[in-house]
Amino acid sequence: MAKKEYSTHIDDSTLLYHEEFRDKKTEEPEVAPSPEEDKFQLIGQYTPRIDGEKIVTGQASYTHDIKLRGMLYGKILRSPHACAEILSMDLSKAQNLAGVEAVIQLKKGQIKYAGEQVAAVAAKNEKIAEKALKLINVEYKIFPFAVTEEKAMAKEAPRIHDRPNVDQFMDYKRGDIELGFKEADVVIEHTYKTAVEIHHPVETHGSVARWNGERLTVWDSTQAIFNVRDGLARYLKIPASRIKVIKNYMGGGFGSKLGLNDYTVAASLLAKKARKPIKIILSRKENSLCVGNRPSSLQTIKGGVKKDGTLTALYLKNYTSGGIGRGDRCSEPLVDLYKCPNVKVEEYSVYTNTGASRPTRAPGFPQGTFAIDGFLDELADEIGMDPLEFRKKNYTTKNRGGTGIPYSSKGLDKCYEIGAEKIGWHRRNKKPGEGNGKMRKGLGMASQIWWGTGRPGTLADIKLHRDGSVEAVCGTQDLGTGTQTYMAVVTAETLGLDPKDITVKIGNTEYPWCGSSGGSTTTPSVAPAIRDAALKAADYLKKQAAKKLKIEPAGIKIENKKFFNKDNPDQSVSFRELLGDFRRERVFHGECSGRPSDYAYNTFGAHFAEVEVDTETGQIKVLKVVAVHDIGRVMNKQTAESQIIGGVTQGVSTALFEGRIMDNTTGNLVNPNLRDYKIATSLDIPEIIPLIVDMVDPHINILGAKGLGEPSRIPPAVAIANAVYNAIGVHVREIPMTPDKVLQTLKRKEVS
Amino acid sequence: MKNFKMAQPQTLDQVTSLLSEKKDQYFLMAGGTDLLDEIKNGIIEPEVVVDLKSIPNLSYIKREKDGVRIGALTSVAELAEDTLIKNDYPCLHEAALSLASPQLRNVGTVGGNLCQRPRCWYYRDPQVECRKKGGSRCFALRGKNKHHAIFGGGVCYIVFPSDLAPALISLDAKIAISTLSGDKTIPLEDFYALPSKNVRKENILEPNEVVKEIKIPLAKKGEKSTYLKLKERGTWDFAVVSAAVKGTVSGGVFKNIKIVLGGVAPIPWRLKKSENFIKGKKATESLMRQAAREALKDAKPLEENGYKKDLVETVVYRAALSLV
Repeated sequence: MAKKEYSTHIDDSTLLYHEEFRDKKTEEPEVAPSPEEDKFQLIGQYTPRIDGEKIVTGQASYTHDIKLRGMLYGKILRSPHACAEILSMDLSKAQNLAGVEAVIQLKKGQIKYAGEQVAAVAAKNEKIAEKALKLINVEYKIFPFAVTEEKAMAKEAPRIHDRPNVDQFMDYKRGDIELGFKEADVVIEHTYKTAVEIHHPVETHGSVARWNGERLTVWDSTQAIFNVRDGLARYLKIPASRIKVIKNYMGGGFGSKLGLNDYTVAASLLAKKARKPIKIILSRKENSLCVGNRPSSLQTIKGGVKKDGTLTALYLKNYTSGGIGRGDRCSEPLVDLYKCPNVKVEEYSVYTNTGASRPTRAPGFPQGTFAIDGFLDELADEIGMDPLEFRKKNYTTKNRGGTGIPYSSKGLDKCYEIGAEKIGWHRRNKKPGEGNGKMRKGLGMASQIWWGTGRPGTLADIKLHRDGSVEAVCGTQDLGTGTQTYMAVVTAETLGLDPKDITVKIGNTEYPWCGSSGGSTTTPSVAPAIRDAALKAADYLKKQAAKKLKIEPAGIKIENKKFFNKDNPDQSVSFRELLGDFRRERVFHGECSGRPSDYAYNTFGAHFAEVEVDTETGQIKVLKVVAVHDIGRVMNKQTAESQIIGGVTQGVSTALFEGRIMDNTTGNLVNPNLRDYKIATSLDIPEIIPLIVDMVDPHINILGAKGLGEPSRIPPAVAIANAVYNAIGVHVREIPMTPDKVLQTLKRKEVS
Repeated sequence: MKNFKMAQPQTLDQVTSLLSEKKDQYFLMAGGTDLLDEIKNGIIEPEVVVDLKSIPNLSYIKREKDGVRIGALTSVAELAEDTLIKNDYPCLHEAALSLASPQLRNVGTVGGNLCQRPRCWYYRDPQVECRKKGGSRCFALRGKNKHHAIFGGGVCYIVFPSDLAPALISLDAKIAISTLSGDKTIPLEDFYALPSKNVRKENILEPNEVVKEIKIPLAKKGEKSTYLKLKERGTWDFAVVSAAVKGTVSGGVFKNIKIVLGGVAPIPWRLKKSENFIKGKKATESLMRQAAREALKDAKPLEENGYKKDLVETVVYRAALSLV
């Protein structure tokens, strides 16, 4: 192996993700968009998915479905030890097994977690491949390990890397924290804890690789076809121009599929060696062990407040573990969202002998929001203030807690207003835990901030055919969120067509460049690029129509598949007729513009939850979640609302059930399956009311649109925790809030 | 996964004689919801899987003059949907409905449910050789044990996961077993055995024996029952703690009562101390709680499962009071 295991490499951390997706000053040429003037017919309405029928009738082809002529099946041998050194490896027996066509060694030297890939085989079928894995003889020297944060933080713990296990990566200060505490009437300190979460998309990770001479084609279940292509080029040392990555349909991706994965390289290497296509699909257990996870957090916040609700100081210390990778930066919501002049942050990674973290739907933000928004409720209670009023009191229209630059647009105040009304905020217990009885109801809320700004430079094409048909083309990928549909909507809106008329092409690195589908960037990248291309096409078509109607282009109106004379609607030429006059097809290139750098671009939201707690069993029933979001201008309400419902569903699941459990005796993950790693079932999901403050961001891009992938995933857990607090009068301060923890928390109340 | 052969016997006699040949490597399969999982995860490596589903006439719910007979291959869904069971033995109906998911209930059988293996995550880890798999230690004792036993542990801290077993035991059900020398019928309560007896098994079934049917005596006049199951999530979850309670109440007093817990011990756990405490006294919440606490004196919780004691108290009082 020329390079160290990149997928588990320390640089492959969520920090890079943060750097990639946070608002960056851009070098792209700026376009001064004027999105507020636009009035739309289709954009922002309810449009059903253009690919919906294909998906629900089983015609959509996923990576798992791909079957190529002569294709072999690859399987990966993984280390059973959490910390070991490979002394020797004998592949000969596996190589000699009938039906086996290639065996490769993937790892030498140090093993740092159980599940790390060691070798791979390709065989005629999965059964032979599995049998061959058992014939690979690996001699390990076993070392002591630490698979939990507690053990890794202990003085005598074995070192995971060649530096201390507790490793500071974040240090932030503004104002004077000590002065802030002095100015406060009340100072409290609490510790909040969140578990490691596993991604578990419905479609587990997998790749198919096929060589054709020097050229490589890879079908990958990925959120980032271009990242996979460029990663493969670097790793295999072949030109990116000779690699094609395809992803048609996606069975879910929450960040673990954002980059090149080690098994994709293994598939490519096996395919080269066997001279046949190779398919590697990871099992649910492999998916649990080695494709990433959301880091845990142990966050202590000390904060001060004046009696009137003015925040004076916030001091966060966070220990976050992403296994052999870095932890998540969880401080961003605390640093940015609430007006506070004095802030101090220290964040530390805690390395353990477990699989490396990967970005997980809003890396760091669900954890950070769980702590700060939980803490705010406890602080509000100390001064006898309504938690919502408390947040309004510390509202700011400038970032960095009121000390930075203005937000380009911020509709959080509207989210508060709409959400409070919809949930019936007045019904909450005025004092947390007031009232009697075994079953207690409560209401809670939380705020959300995230980026979601899009990538300037994203490319898209509109292609007009002579028969009147239209293609919208972009090298993006649809995770299942509805990318294809809004591409059709924006194109149809701009060209006066029906979304069904548009042929959408995505998921191929031969199409115009687009970044990864992560960071809630897809819509604000792709939609403006499509709009730009479609406007250019419309401009050209108007000129042609004007010639035909013998008027000025400015006098042309496009509507209902026709070009009209604005002043004389009887005079028109149809879309099809106009294109029929072309001598050739025409392609119009669009690009997502830059944006002014004197604004901060963020998405906002507020969730309101109602719960019922059984104080004798510790069971929490979430009754209702009202989720209100400001995401700029909405492209398609139907898929946007689905996206919010999905985020709340995942949030409920992590609030109540999800958590990876490591065992320090064996070094193993004890819940590598969907029986023991519990995900919410349909019976656990409350009534979810998705609401969108449909306001146009005047600066962000040509459409005034922001992203929505992550926002709805951020605040549900803490809104629920705050509702539980409102119900029982003690804050659980830890997710998942399983019955054992709720009962333990209630005992805290008895003691106090 | 190793290749295995599949035997499809036509009668129970064929099964017992088949099992007598090469007992250890033969595994019985009814619905397969548990066995296939064990095979796929590398927990067991059968040479022969004996498919009981090929035997005709083992799926039935028959009412007779002395009670009800339930064939071992009756699906859990059929049990849950049966109106006779629902009317006469509510706790069994509730237990069947509470179990797994609709899909699993359609496939899983009554016999399979009673003979399923533990879901202890150490037992289910193919890399771990615990006592139940012939090893020399119980990893749960000092490991991750929030789901483990608070009663009857010691050698091994699994909990027996069945929902039907506590319900059936509370109903005084008997189990009919086919052996080489003919059928034998024993109380279901005696079918289960603690790890201290044989840590490799959860019951007394010999390798050449097979469960044939369950017999439940006629419900007595005025007899009521209920099954209360606490689980972490809404569905598709094993009991954290559950209680099957059956009894006759007259004038707010239990004349007789039987309480069997699930999720707390390596076998369905009878609370005789609580039963005796409750009998003949005015049934109140505080009496029930006190009765549960009497039984809980025997509990020996581990580091992470002490909360189950609170839950036992709650399920016992709630289930019992619901019959009053």
